[in-house]
Amino acid sequence: MKKERSRKYRALQLVRVGVQAAFFALFLYLLFRTHFTGQDYIGSVEVYFHFDPLLAVATAVASRAVFTAFALAAITIAVTFILGRVVCGWVCPLGAVHQFFSWLFKKTKLLRPKKIVTGGLSWKYFVLIFILVSAVFTLDVVGIVDPLSFLYRTIVTSVLPAFGQGFMMLTGFTYNLGLAGLGDKLTQFFETLTINATFRQGFLIGLIFLGFVLLNMFRERFWCRTICPLGAFLGLASRWNLFKLKVDENKCIKCNLCTLHCETQAHPWPDEKWKSSECVYCETCAAICPTAAITFPAKGAPEKLPAVDLSRRKVLTATFLAFFSVPFFRISQAAKRASEKLIRPPGALPEKAFLQKCIKCGECMKACPTNALQPALTEAGPEGLWTPVLVPKIGYCEYYCSLCSQVCPTGAIKELTVPEKLNVRIGTAWINKNRCIPYFLGRPCIVCEEHCPTSPKAIKFVMVEAKLPDGTVATQKAPVMDLDLCIGCGICENKCPVMDDPAIYVTSVGEQRSEKNRLLLQIGPDQPPIK
Amino acid sequence: MDRRDFLKDMALGGLVAGLGPRLMAQAPKPAGGPDLAFVQGDSPAKITKEAVAVLGGMTRFVAKGDVVMIKPNIGWDRTPEMAACTNPEVVKALVEMCLNAGAKKVVVMDNTTNQAQRCYMRSGIQAAAKEAGADVPYVNERRIKKMAIKGEWLKDWDVIQDFVEADKLINVPIAKHHSLCRVTIGMKNWLGAIGDPRNQLHQKLDQAEVDLSAFFKPTLTVLDAYRILVRNGPQGGRLSDTRLLKTIVAGTDYVAIDALGASFFDIPPAELPFLKLANQRGLGEINPEKLRIEKRTV
Repeated sequence: MKKERSRKYRALQLVRVGVQAAFFALFLYLLFRTHFTGQDYIGSVEVYFHFDPLLAVATAVASRAVFTAFALAAITIAVTFILGRVVCGWVCPLGAVHQFFSWLFKKTKLLRPKKIVTGGLSWKYFVLIFILVSAVFTLDVVGIVDPLSFLYRTIVTSVLPAFGQGFMMLTGFTYNLGLAGLGDKLTQFFETLTINATFRQGFLIGLIFLGFVLLNMFRERFWCRTICPLGAFLGLASRWNLFKLKVDENKCIKCNLCTLHCETQAHPWPDEKWKSSECVYCETCAAICPTAAITFPAKGAPEKLPAVDLSRRKVLTATFLAFFSVPFFRISQAAKRASEKLIRPPGALPEKAFLQKCIKCGECMKACPTNALQPALTEAGPEGLWTPVLVPKIGYCEYYCSLCSQVCPTGAIKELTVPEKLNVRIGTAWINKNRCIPYFLGRPCIVCEEHCPTSPKAIKFVMVEAKLPDGTVATQKAPVMDLDLCIGCGICENKCPVMDDPAIYVTSVGEQRSEKNRLLLQIGPDQPPIK
Repeated sequence: MDRRDFLKDMALGGLVAGLGPRLMAQAPKPAGGPDLAFVQGDSPAKITKEAVAVLGGMTRFVAKGDVVMIKPNIGWDRTPEMAACTNPEVVKALVEMCLNAGAKKVVVMDNTTNQAQRCYMRSGIQAAAKEAGADVPYVNERRIKKMAIKGEWLKDWDVIQDFVEADKLINVPIAKHHSLCRVTIGMKNWLGAIGDPRNQLHQKLDQAEVDLSAFFKPTLTVLDAYRILVRNGPQGGRLSDTRLLKTIVAGTDYVAIDALGASFFDIPPAELPFLKLANQRGLGEINPEKLRIEKRTV
């Protein structure tokens, strides 16, 4: 018998790698485009998310509202119906990352598949059940494990800041080598990328991602075969796929290489054991087969489901677990009182509706020109993990910018035009007179007043007397708040020269989106709350 | 000497300066020339060019082969009609004149207050200056170094090296209201050439302005008073905060320019502490009656 690998499928495998690289590049391109580029309106840089049917379904169920942009997800479903999980194998950028590291770990012998792995496949279906059941009870946890959210959030809050530091170190070397011209060019290029470099949870989020990357040493594409709820979702849709795996028994030498090296444990041999719901059409089996026995001929018949053992008992268990978990996610101070530090971006829906829609993807954090939006840890309770919170000590809300509201893929932040955004109050500024320079030190300052962006200014000044230690009295201009005008943008806190703990600070009270977290009952001109 | 002869002389002077750059860091004022040019007209570019011509043309200030740094106010994320940043057409006219005078390179830069990209783009200055042939880089943190300011209060501070390494420095402020120092014109503009935490300088802002001005010593100051900001300074936000004056004031005495600029806000120069401090230190004239101002309209 002629021993020769299939040229066709080896070529197809290379094409697949090329397509994966192209989609990953597109994902990165859109990510890098997500910042101010000179125009007030940024276009659909968040479109990748709208192709994700899991996000579409979970968010629609949790929020009881349909976001029309998610119609694009129907394309993904349709493709999966006809072609199987090609989206996982060819399009998904997180799948590409895991495939790359699986390949790398194999090449470096860190991963040596020795025996056929069984089990573990059903976990991702339970993750999916958990997400969908909790969505029925309006809890939206999909963003924590959705592959696109997971990848985008990690790149924005962890990978890019680290890349930025590395890049700046590199330019530092060029200066040390006396190549100042090159250093200047590199720095200017870097500036145009406008990478937000400060994220309070960058290390943690990066560590979680690294953990899943390292799990590829244990099993290839560990995430895709075991955890990914989108993979499970598409697995359920993958039923009438046109192309079915076929092993030519005359050629097969039963070496088992195909099943051993199957990226996602779809068990190519014997072919009656092949699970089309698990196959991502990476073409590895067909390309690796030493006798070219494996092909994917077109064949219209539907699959028997489930291909993965999902016993009724396990499904029910996962359902009940999700059902009983929902209240645990809501054990939070937020039930009693609004958190003073929970300053949401302008356009954010009222907290309950916001949490039902936010997918924790980090688009807003990438778009924010001042790095103000940070992933929450405890501010919004367990339910609000990694949702965006504005931290004025790190950045402030740029007055004429509404980018975060434009890039939000789910409408958790309602899209605002720039003129609409100017009047949205997200919090209120307070003056700590015990730390404010004119109030306690009797010296000039009013930096906050200088930076207050509204016209007329929400920070005004009055003359105050400060009693100094030597008994004398100093009279200075000192800031006072005009709460009718304050929008809570936080630039005052951000620019306050009292460095460690600013003498003027913003809290969430007075935020327009809340009907409870109010300060004055008729504050400012009539503005309907955002709904 | 009529103006034509004078211009010829200046061109020759420029040639000489070109042969020996840095010999004439600051060309002397031609005998009989005015201290300040005060030009009004509808076109910001034209009145800018006329103002420099009144002073003797750009060749008086820029020699062949010079690297010229132009320092507008690009501090805020505001569009030109808000009068929070220098008029982009004024900056563009200056870039053109510098290049025509033989400058090797013209750089336009400011350490902005709002996000740099937004300020550079929405002020219109980046596009306008680039169109005229200038480099408009963002502030590079690696090029900020602590330097001896040797001021009366400010002994040392972080300075952006581009401003001290250039052969010639042209300050192009805009006249604006400011709650702490009442007006911000040319001398306060130098806070955009230094590093952070510059906000701490507000504790003695008047003295800091004087110390920084004496340190930077601009070759030429061109005050953009085409549209000035009279309320809610230094960033405004409404058209009603601005007033259209259609005026450019230019000269080498930066103290005198700030003194004249104060008059746009009906403030007697002697009432402004930073002007008094600068005058006492001998940096410039603040008595308008002692200044020779040539006024023109184009």
